[in-house]
Amino acid sequence: MKPLPRRVYNRMLLRSLSVQGSWNYETLIGTGFVYTLLPALRTIYGTREGRLEAAVARHIELFNSHPYLATVAVGAVSRLEAEGVEPAVVQRFKTALRGALGAMGDRLVWSAWRPMSILLALLLILMGTAWWVAVVTFLAVYNAMHLTIRALGLRLGTQAGLEVGRKLRDIPLQPIIERSSQLACFLVGASVMLAAVPLARDPIALVPTAVAIGAGFALGARARTALIGSLVIVTVLALFIGLTGYGTE
Amino acid sequence: MIPFDGPAVLLLILLGGAVAVDGTSFGQFMISRPLVAASLAGLVVGRPMQGALIGVVLEAFQLTILPVGAAKYPEGGPAAVAAGAVYAASDPASSTALICVLIALGLEVVGGESVRYLRQGNVYIISARGTDPLTPRQLERRHLAAIGLDYLRGTVLVTIGIIAISVGVSTLVPLWGLGERVPHILITAMVAGLLASTFRILGSHTWMTALGAAAGLAFLLLTA
Repeated sequence: MKPLPRRVYNRMLLRSLSVQGSWNYETLIGTGFVYTLLPALRTIYGTREGRLEAAVARHIELFNSHPYLATVAVGAVSRLEAEGVEPAVVQRFKTALRGALGAMGDRLVWSAWRPMSILLALLLILMGTAWWVAVVTFLAVYNAMHLTIRALGLRLGTQAGLEVGRKLRDIPLQPIIERSSQLACFLVGASVMLAAVPLARDPIALVPTAVAIGAGFALGARARTALIGSLVIVTVLALFIGLTGYGTE
Repeated sequence: MIPFDGPAVLLLILLGGAVAVDGTSFGQFMISRPLVAASLAGLVVGRPMQGALIGVVLEAFQLTILPVGAAKYPEGGPAAVAAGAVYAASDPASSTALICVLIALGLEVVGGESVRYLRQGNVYIISARGTDPLTPRQLERRHLAAIGLDYLRGTVLVTIGIIAISVGVSTLVPLWGLGERVPHILITAMVAGLLASTFRILGSHTWMTALGAAAGLAFLLLTA
């Protein structure tokens, strides 16, 4: 099988940035998947009557994946289309792949790498660094992983084709997730300390700070709702006092 | 009432569209994160650090929100642009920050709902119901149209946000009856609590968290 030209590969990589562009409740990222795959389909089917249109129609179906890992599926499917693999086989392959790509991306990116990168930036700001240092650091650290995943994913997919599932299992994902999570927890400890300790000089601040931190550690994501609730209550109270003068006489 | 001039408003609206698109439709380079979006908004207005401070608070509220599958979640980017800009252009009081954050949190929910409507609308944009299957060119145009619609959505959200937060700040801050110490404590305690809330989703590595806390304390002692 003749590999796809470099320019086709680059176009797919660029288009992959918009794989979620037409996200909808019918095909999820299915149409974005086809949009990303189109440069390869055009190269494979050219102007042969109806073949390109038939390929596009075949692929406009339900598909979902982590957006960065969609390139794995795009690359693999482009190879299968170039090899002339039976459409039914390609469809089964896509169905089998989507769950794995979604779960991998969620664990690696949303639950580990992204929070770690953000916490690093927040810590830098709490340490008194200039805002742009924190922002640039976050964007650089995060997008180093982001763009690597997209590019390597496309390469892996185009090289491995039907074997991509086995290749994905060989990637040492768990150590990366584990190290990121450990580092993120380190950053949590440091940033909580930097946020809370300066308040310790104010005796009134001790109790609410301790309660907020305790609620955070104990409740996890549910603490968000509780803290928003406290924000609303204090605001209503402050406005009531301001409007009525109650308690200020 | 809106604390900045026409060119700044236009730039912020354009930024809001870009931030909305970055959230899902194109790129996902994370300029849509509240820390980045609010800092950039502050930069437009001339006080990026002040924008960044609101960004820190709103980012803390977004830390435990994970965009998995088709789940609904509040959208942080456009709200952060509006809040960051208004706060950066206002008197940097803690009560002002609190009002900006509160209204921004409400706007995030509106943003999340608008994403849901956009996704429902995309079904009609991208499908070829009752007609011949989409040609490649048609698919490309419709896919790009959906991205354009997302951009428009972001501009509308930021416009609404700037108005709502400006009105909120100008009417509610003068009525604030608890001084500046209380909102300062509340905001800082909340940020600390929200940072702590990520411990569980990050795998609850207790020893690493304790080590980080020790490092943080050492830093404070060394720089005191």
